[in-house]
Amino acid sequence: MSKKYWKGVEELQNDAEFVRLKNNEFYEHLPLDEVIQKKAVDTNTTPRRDFLKFLGFSVAAASLASCETPVTKSIPYLIRPEEITPGVADWYASTYFDGYDYCSVVVKTREGRPIKLEGNTLSSVTKGGVSARVQASVLSLYDSTRIKTPMMYGAAATWADVDKTILEKLNAIAAKGGKIRILTSTIISPSTLKVIADFSAKYPNTKHVVYDAVSNSAMRQANQMSFGMSVIPSYNFDKATTIVGIAADFLTNWISPIEYSRQYGVTRKLDNGKKSMSRHIQFETALSVTGSNADERFAVKPSQQAAVVANLYNAIAALSGAASIPAASAGELQKDISATAKSLLASKGSSLVVCGINNVAIQTIVNGINSLLGNYGSTIDLDNANKMRQGNDADVAMLVDEMNKGEVAGLFIYNCNPALSLPEGNQFAKMVKKLDLSVSFADRADESATHCQFICPDHHPLESWMDAEPKAGLYSLGQPTIAPLFKTRQAQESLLSWSGNTMNFHDYMAAFWSSNILNKGTGNWNKALQDGVFELPPVASKAYTHSADLNAAANSISKSSSNGFELVVYEKTGIGSGVMANNPWLQELPDPISKITWDNYLAVSPKDAREKGWKQGQVVTLSAGNVKMNAPVVIQPGQAFGTVSLALGYGRTAAGKVADNRGVNAYPFTSLGADAINYSISGVDIQKSTEDDYAFAATQTHHTMMGRAIVKETTLPEYLKDKNAGNHPELFKKKIGHHEEVDVKAEELSLWREFEVGNHHWGMGIDLNSCIGCGACVVACTAENNVAVVGKDEVMRSREMHWMRIDRYYTSDADPKEGESGDLKAMENPSDLPKVVFQPVMCQHCNHAPCETVCPVIATSHSSEGLNQMTYNRCVGTRYCANNCPYKVRRFNWFRYSDNPKFDFNMNDDLGKMVLNPDVVVRSRGVMEKCSLCVQRIQEGKLNAKKEGRKIPDGEIKTACSQSCPTQAITFGDYNNPESQVKRMWKPEERSYHLLEELNVKPNVYYLTKVRNTSEGKEA
Amino acid sequence: MSKLSFKRYFKFCLPAVLLALFSFSSSAQDGEALFKSQCSACHAVKEKLIGPALMGMEKRHKEDWLIKWIKNSQAMVKAGDPVAVKLFNDNNKVAMTSFNLSDDEIRSIIAYVKAEAEKPEPVATTGGQAGTAPVEKEQPIALYLIIALLVLALLSAILAKVQNTLATTVRQKEGLPEPAEMSRWQSFVTWARSNKKLIAVLLIFFTLYGTVKAWYALQAIGISQGYTPAQPIAYSHKLHAGDLQIQCIYCHSGAERGKAATIPSASVCMNCHKYVRKGPETGTEEIAKIYKALDYDPSTGVYGPNQKPIEWVRVHNLPDLAYFNHAQHVSVGKIECQTCHGQVQETMTVASQFSPLTMSWCLECHKTTQVKMAGNGYYEQYHQKMLDKFGSDSLLTVDKIGGLECSRCHY
Repeated sequence: MSKKYWKGVEELQNDAEFVRLKNNEFYEHLPLDEVIQKKAVDTNTTPRRDFLKFLGFSVAAASLASCETPVTKSIPYLIRPEEITPGVADWYASTYFDGYDYCSVVVKTREGRPIKLEGNTLSSVTKGGVSARVQASVLSLYDSTRIKTPMMYGAAATWADVDKTILEKLNAIAAKGGKIRILTSTIISPSTLKVIADFSAKYPNTKHVVYDAVSNSAMRQANQMSFGMSVIPSYNFDKATTIVGIAADFLTNWISPIEYSRQYGVTRKLDNGKKSMSRHIQFETALSVTGSNADERFAVKPSQQAAVVANLYNAIAALSGAASIPAASAGELQKDISATAKSLLASKGSSLVVCGINNVAIQTIVNGINSLLGNYGSTIDLDNANKMRQGNDADVAMLVDEMNKGEVAGLFIYNCNPALSLPEGNQFAKMVKKLDLSVSFADRADESATHCQFICPDHHPLESWMDAEPKAGLYSLGQPTIAPLFKTRQAQESLLSWSGNTMNFHDYMAAFWSSNILNKGTGNWNKALQDGVFELPPVASKAYTHSADLNAAANSISKSSSNGFELVVYEKTGIGSGVMANNPWLQELPDPISKITWDNYLAVSPKDAREKGWKQGQVVTLSAGNVKMNAPVVIQPGQAFGTVSLALGYGRTAAGKVADNRGVNAYPFTSLGADAINYSISGVDIQKSTEDDYAFAATQTHHTMMGRAIVKETTLPEYLKDKNAGNHPELFKKKIGHHEEVDVKAEELSLWREFEVGNHHWGMGIDLNSCIGCGACVVACTAENNVAVVGKDEVMRSREMHWMRIDRYYTSDADPKEGESGDLKAMENPSDLPKVVFQPVMCQHCNHAPCETVCPVIATSHSSEGLNQMTYNRCVGTRYCANNCPYKVRRFNWFRYSDNPKFDFNMNDDLGKMVLNPDVVVRSRGVMEKCSLCVQRIQEGKLNAKKEGRKIPDGEIKTACSQSCPTQAITFGDYNNPESQVKRMWKPEERSYHLLEELNVKPNVYYLTKVRNTSEGKEA
Repeated sequence: MSKLSFKRYFKFCLPAVLLALFSFSSSAQDGEALFKSQCSACHAVKEKLIGPALMGMEKRHKEDWLIKWIKNSQAMVKAGDPVAVKLFNDNNKVAMTSFNLSDDEIRSIIAYVKAEAEKPEPVATTGGQAGTAPVEKEQPIALYLIIALLVLALLSAILAKVQNTLATTVRQKEGLPEPAEMSRWQSFVTWARSNKKLIAVLLIFFTLYGTVKAWYALQAIGISQGYTPAQPIAYSHKLHAGDLQIQCIYCHSGAERGKAATIPSASVCMNCHKYVRKGPETGTEEIAKIYKALDYDPSTGVYGPNQKPIEWVRVHNLPDLAYFNHAQHVSVGKIECQTCHGQVQETMTVASQFSPLTMSWCLECHKTTQVKMAGNGYYEQYHQKMLDKFGSDSLLTVDKIGGLECSRCHY
């Protein structure tokens, strides 16, 4: 059966709008109406004359302006810091942690400004990986919404006044014996915990409540019950041969995604003669990045999840002779569950079952499954616990209760936003207003901070000293890479000063380290600071058997009821829980799955949409309990039938100009359950509303490849039989002599002479097998190359400027299967539950580039090092090159995106512009731009080698995308170096292929066929 | 020689001899040479430099003590001599170099310092006018020209009037009829018709001249070769790089390392100007500007809090679209600074843009400059490959390795 690839529901159904967009790839509407108001045209009798006047004036003005040389000041340092050479970047190891994402990073600074974050390869947690969110965090440093001074009762104040008043209040509360609560996100900084302990010692009625907006509290409770340890274990995905994920998006969101995606990437690679790869099975409701990478994915309703877990346990127990537990029927999934159990048992001891459901009973059974499979001690490490997600939902519930009863006197809110993210945030906000003392450490007057008496703004992580212990014994240090931009003060220092300690946090932390951390191993402060990490050898991981009562757990979840639609809230790859919602880079990052930017939406399954008559963009009214809101519909293939999902982090009202009033807030659909926060809700009523249809800015249907075979795919059994499976080249007839013809590959038929190659020949290889579609590369590219943010309106006109995109193709069997009698599943439309392929596409740097031959002014040309060069200052904007590019990777500057109030993002304010990379030009209006293979990095790497008189070792020069890829799917290097990875990986007789090989444009970028580890041996 | 004259002579001689004996004794003269060669790097007579002002040292300390101190001050500090320890601490614990001088030599230095200290202060010149180079006021040439033109116009008007009056008078006398009234244009046309060749030549000349002028004017747009802006401090490259032979790299230290050669920070100036406080011409006031920027008090050697950076005017303004890296040219290409910046050390009292900095100028150099491949490990195999292809090192110019490609400078 032939497979079909499609980019969206629109393409599959050959929607009229899609056909229009496909045929008119370049949006041609000229916004004349907006420029010349129609009324003015009608009433004004002489617009032509005015036009000529303006024309004449502007020509005169332009020529006058060009004659004058502006006087430019050059202001050197008075005393130059020793390490700074203007024009040369400095790198500092540091740590990023915002309560939600952790990453050990190195920070690139130019003249004292941090401009880019990259992964720290010395960290054994993140191993040099970064995520889209961590990449983008550098822009949040330059967010003009940050408050610039401490605030007291809504007005700017001085630190002295704030401290005085807060101390008076604290003493008054202490005298009365009032309750003080410090509400924080997870804190992985040991010295910050000490600061809080010091504060609690000074004010004994203080309690520290840890609250994560996206909580894994149930997991800790389950581990407490099963093993007597309230921990989240370390997972070793790299040791797993069978991975089962149940509602856990571990590649982009769950607990420690950067760590997991790097480990996962290792198991997916098939290079250097490796013949095996992990098998990944995912059960989930909404189509997540993790689910879309799975070899097998099953869409389940939230209400079915318990049954899936219990039946999986029973299936494994039956095969390994253990007792079964009570379980509700899993219905049609039973067969798949049995198959999954067999796969897991086949790799007993090297399998891994992870579950993201915040439910103690389910987590307990998952522990039982892993215990049966003997995974503790191999893929699951309880002895070296993960310190992320320490939120304790029971404590949070208790705090809410105390607040409602009016028992709390003072509240400190650090790194969290309860008024937004608590299920009943509004109620919480009301109670905050009644407190004797309320202090927020937020960097902006967010939804919670606005209700507090005091806002004592904390530094941005890049301005702070900090330490972190993301996993037991693995410490990392963060150092400020810029002097504080505003009159902010580190939260730890504020707490220290209120506890009567005048030490600054750096000294405090250094003292804490020397007596508590550095003495545990060999090393010193300076080395730890330089490396960014200080790691103790891991404790030997022991095998554990759970000791919890599984029957009780199973009983508590065996009867689940479901009525109406079930709704799950989820985290998007870009915005996550919403900590950095006001970051334009993240807002403009297309969602890996839906490819929609700037919005959240109600994802519904195609089947439900057909049945209910919902259209894409239709606004519906959701009601569940007393929560009621309107949200637009997106028809999302892969969504479980009868479920809808809504992303967190949107619907902000006080996050800043970028985030406010975008999408809807999904947090009210969460609920504080008996022992943990629930992230799904059933019985949701959905009705069509009378609102007009909503328009999304999706990059989904642009840049289509017109149905040509672009993604090549095979299965592991096929690949093992034939290394070239799925990648048999198309052959062409070539005449030799008069009558004879032979079959040759496209590359042997060329009209063009080959370019001469100089000292280097740069190229890139992209392994589709390990690309997970997370978008870290897209944000890295944006940061490195000063790519403009264009906003929702312009994205809707297909004018996004991202130099690289990640194409997401859905794939399914072309036609509905002939149903076996009684098998409902086979009757379903296979395109409703498709498989997914991701393919990053940037300029392919063709050796016979079609763009180069059509440029009338030679603004784009070929270099002797294999680069397709784009010279902005030469470009006159004919756009011929974009029209002639088969890969659609060229981007046109329709407007000036800097210093333009119409594009009020980071390039429109002086603060935001500090993030720009001074080595790359900010492009002006009317020129074409595209991926340069980070030529500035190539030139810098070459210069460094020349200065030191040495060769460039492979891997020294990395492009922004290859550097940031958490799974190392992108490899950059020099084909001229026979040792280089990019050269060694190029094996057209195996998996390597060029995009649209038949065009014979000879790209310098190649791809490796995607291999799925599925048992069915069908070839694409 | 008469008695009287002898007496007179003696009268003049006596004070001179006395003076010579007491003030300009031979020991003081030796002392001057010694002081300048050995001491002046750190000491002045009346001012504090690194070390204290030496004036009055013979009163503060005994001669024996001074000799001992100058020979080896650290030994005294270590031995715990209270005076020595105090002196050491008072001067920021900067150890004084030990000098291998004889006792007499030291005595001669002390004598010189004493003599210098007793010299009266030179009369201060008013406001340092003598030192300042006369500032050329821009001559109002245009004004003079306009006045001259006005005078000429007035003259010609008067003369025309006179001629007119005379002609009328003559006509009246002779009884000739008034000539037919002709407008000026008509008379010009009449003249032009009778001088067609001249008109044609003039027209061709002015058209050609105008075209050529306009062509060059347009060519020069955006090119600021010779741009010599006034700087906040009248710093002379000729003095520093030329007469004093300070290496370019000493101040422009970025040139070897990175993209910008960098204007030195004021702290670099202070490496010398902590001690060199005066200049023969405008130096004193100009050096004072560095002190002002750093809020430095030369008398106490203390930096104050009110520091304000020096705002130099940038001379070489490459557009943002062109990436230029000094290190590539200086460290790798081994290009002399003067190749692009001219004979700075000989000619530039005020920094000036020597080269046009146009793209064709860049490319011209790339076409003719040989790449320094030999001995650079980066080019190892490539060098041989290129030699096989082109034959000799002299033919391996920058353009042969892609030095004319767009993305070498534009990204």
